[in-house]
Amino acid sequence: MSTCSVLLVDDEAEFIETLAKRLTRRGLKVHLAFSGQEALDFLAANEADVAVLDVKMPGMDGIEALQKIKALKPGLEVLMLTAHANVEVAMRGMELGAFDYLMKPVELEELLCKIQDANKKKCLQQ
Amino acid sequence: MFTRLKTFFSSLIGGHHQGEGMSDEEILAEFKKRYHNFRLLLTANKKTLMIMSEMEQALRGASVFGMSFVRSQATAASVNVYRIVKHLSEIAPGKYDALFERLKDIQAQIAAVLDRQPQTAATELVLPLEAVDRAHADQVGSKMANLGDIMARVGLPVPPGFAVTALAYSRFMRDTGLGDEINRLIQAVGADDHATLLPLCSQIQQMIQNAKLPPDVAEAILKAYLELEARTEPDVRVSMRSSALGEDAMGQSFAGQFRSVLGVSAEELLIAYKEIVASKYSPQAVTYRMAKGIPNEDVAMCVGCMAMVKARSGGVIYSRNPLSIRDDEIFIHSAWGLAKTVVDGAVASDLFVARRGDPPRLTEQRIACKDRVYLCDPVEGVCRHEEAGEAACAPSLTDEEALRLASMAIRLDEVYAEPLDIEWAMDQERNIFLLQCRPLQQIEAGRAKRPPGQFGKPLAAGGVTGSPGVAAGTVHVVARDLDMLTFPEGGVVLAADAAPRWATLLSRASALVCERGSVAGHLSNVAREFGVPALMGMEGAVAALSGKGEVTVDADGLAVYPGRVESLLALAPKRETPQAQSPMHAILREVLDIVAPLNLLDPSVPEFSPENCLTLHDITRFCHEKSVTEMFRFGQDFQFSKRASKQLKYRVPMKWWFVNLDDGFTREITGKYVTMEEIACEPVLSLWEGFVAVPWAGPPPVDAAGLLHIVAHSTVNRNLTHGGDSEYAQGNYFMISRHYMCLSSRFGYHFCTVEALVDEREHENYVSFQFKGGAAEQGRRALRAKFVGEVLENYNFRVEIQGDEMRAVYAKGPMDLMLDRLRVIGYLLMHTRQIDMVMTNEAMVEGFRQKFAKDIGDILRQAAERHMTEVMREMA
Repeated sequence: MSTCSVLLVDDEAEFIETLAKRLTRRGLKVHLAFSGQEALDFLAANEADVAVLDVKMPGMDGIEALQKIKALKPGLEVLMLTAHANVEVAMRGMELGAFDYLMKPVELEELLCKIQDANKKKCLQQ
Repeated sequence: MFTRLKTFFSSLIGGHHQGEGMSDEEILAEFKKRYHNFRLLLTANKKTLMIMSEMEQALRGASVFGMSFVRSQATAASVNVYRIVKHLSEIAPGKYDALFERLKDIQAQIAAVLDRQPQTAATELVLPLEAVDRAHADQVGSKMANLGDIMARVGLPVPPGFAVTALAYSRFMRDTGLGDEINRLIQAVGADDHATLLPLCSQIQQMIQNAKLPPDVAEAILKAYLELEARTEPDVRVSMRSSALGEDAMGQSFAGQFRSVLGVSAEELLIAYKEIVASKYSPQAVTYRMAKGIPNEDVAMCVGCMAMVKARSGGVIYSRNPLSIRDDEIFIHSAWGLAKTVVDGAVASDLFVARRGDPPRLTEQRIACKDRVYLCDPVEGVCRHEEAGEAACAPSLTDEEALRLASMAIRLDEVYAEPLDIEWAMDQERNIFLLQCRPLQQIEAGRAKRPPGQFGKPLAAGGVTGSPGVAAGTVHVVARDLDMLTFPEGGVVLAADAAPRWATLLSRASALVCERGSVAGHLSNVAREFGVPALMGMEGAVAALSGKGEVTVDADGLAVYPGRVESLLALAPKRETPQAQSPMHAILREVLDIVAPLNLLDPSVPEFSPENCLTLHDITRFCHEKSVTEMFRFGQDFQFSKRASKQLKYRVPMKWWFVNLDDGFTREITGKYVTMEEIACEPVLSLWEGFVAVPWAGPPPVDAAGLLHIVAHSTVNRNLTHGGDSEYAQGNYFMISRHYMCLSSRFGYHFCTVEALVDEREHENYVSFQFKGGAAEQGRRALRAKFVGEVLENYNFRVEIQGDEMRAVYAKGPMDLMLDRLRVIGYLLMHTRQIDMVMTNEAMVEGFRQKFAKDIGDILRQAAERHMTEVMREMA
């Protein structure tokens, strides 16, 4: 698989900075955004294959961000990652086209596999 | 035929009516996309089954779980089933859209259970104590409801005060967003591990204390205080105590879980209120709820606020003996100052025993040296332990006062018609006030007379029984919070003080030994509730037992022996297993009823349809079945050379067909047949090895009743008759890639699937085997399912059986272990045919059991030897 580029979006800076380090070590190209708006700004100017999106963020929440990201980049696969287990929110995200809805704490291996699967899906759709 | 294919083709590709014009490359690309969806569907399918299994295990097992477990499992199950449906719809566009609606219905049902917040009945933020009776328990908690009742209905003295209601609590949690945030923290961090529990609890408690109360709640509390002040004295100090909703219900004592704050002034009122609310998340309260299966949401923290009693002495009355159901004497524990010293187990207490009668009589009094007094300064409000001085060893009650307390206890016991645990205080003018009154849990202690020396020489002896029983474990001294982190599972808690915070350990401890404390303390209370033997007030225990390793604690015989004394342990009554019907279990059960039951069993009947999917499991099952069918059909119906199904030729053509999903063949196969040598799918090769390793001896001899059943059954089930027109009658259909196989097979009399994924993602590897049916009647089929399940359990499969359906999964493991599992299944496919017929013949079953064990042992050994030889050859 060619280098997969991932955009991590979460207001918990410490969390995604650590995650970014670990994913980079596994050969992924990682970008960070600390809010939904930052993610949109980044995507307006850059490409990414997969986004990992927190659901609960101040300002624009994950569901709203998902909608806008999908409108901007329909081909981008989005993984939701959250500490709020909520059936309705999860379903809403899936219906809006999220690739998966994962709950913290998530094992790195599992997240990595999900990113690979999402990336492969994106490649096959092209 | 061609027309049918064309129509089908267009329906698959949707808008592409020129479908037949697609090149091989385009079809291949389409196939690859669907195959990826199929793989993802399988992953989600496996994940869903795993989640359901975890939920079922939690329900059956003794493990503790909270609401965050139920919520995240239910959400994960919903998400994965959504993915399954989505992937199926990518494999067969538009064909199964009805499933999305079904799924929505089911998810709404799950969400309804999870979102059902306990509605508070309270309409006021605060209620004066006089306005409260037992009927208000769901508004102010049972502690305050009982006190109001005692005052209004029984006419016994209670200090004036008011209660801050459940409404105030829920407003506090909701308006500040604290409720959501706490759930989030508990889910993300997890409260089941002691190392994470302490920091988690302190973080949550701090959040609560730092939060701002909704203005009207704060105002209501301050106004109620002003009214209390007007009725008592200026600057009246108050005690504030938790009165949690659900306390005392269902035998949950919550003893000593939550904070009480004494000597509170007007300025500290709101801080103290938040402190008590925060104590809902003290480590001992959280572990207690986990162990008892009480959802956090169910515990609304009401707070009672009462004028302080300037206590001369105080303590606890048991209206009957907590350790003997037959003993109806009254037990009065008393110490100098506030009752706190007695319930916290901080100092020894006097004991007065009274016999019922008119008037009651004292039968026994034991006066202890009460070296410390707990007092609150009426002006400063500060509360502290003080030296008791020369009064220390004097009785803290006169006989007359003890009898007055006894009379009150008898009165209350009669009114409420149950044994009671009553906290009291007596002021300087010798007026008695009741501070708390709750049902007393009586248990039967094995009142033991142990002849001296019967069990050897004890390491320590003496004290009183706090909770009956005998248990052994390794001694672990606890003095600081830090010591709780290193407490070993099944250890003996050894402490100087009988502090309520040690209660956190009782769900994991085998026994408890304390130097101080009595049967009346919180810690004893909780120990009795958890069935943990406890020895209290055992002087010098810490020095005598520290570092002694494993000991046997005889709480009945008041002694601790070195090592495990089996003969003594044998005398202990069996400890009851934790109740499997907690409120938390009930919620999980309710969710599982929407998730787990499987109603769609037989794919060959018309009822096997989206409309009949009632649970997540039904949808999962339906989609799995259909995805296999659709993938197979795609491979078979598109007659382009690379993808068509090939029939296996092994000496002669066999009834095994293969569809190559990706890289399952070693080369491109152009003819009709494929040979085993041309198959590159490792799981299939291993399965085949097991299948052909030992020749089948043919069907076992069938008795008359069994035979009759086959004949009858064959005439009604078309699948069983030769040449039946069911879709894939009499064939074994494999879908393969290099690392994946899916066999769905309708062997003559039963249906089975074998699915395996064995590749470099070790943690995603799995081998699953399901089968159902047979020719014999239900009873024997079920016996065979059980028999096969038992064989598989010997090879560490996780097995679930429902009637005649058996599901076995072996998940996560390195390749060679996974392939061995496939050899076992291959063997079973060959040799379990028709053995359902003889399942009621115990001798034959035993014969099969032995033969299977031997054969499988041989097969695995040979495979291992072959593997070794290859490794050696490569190395050479």
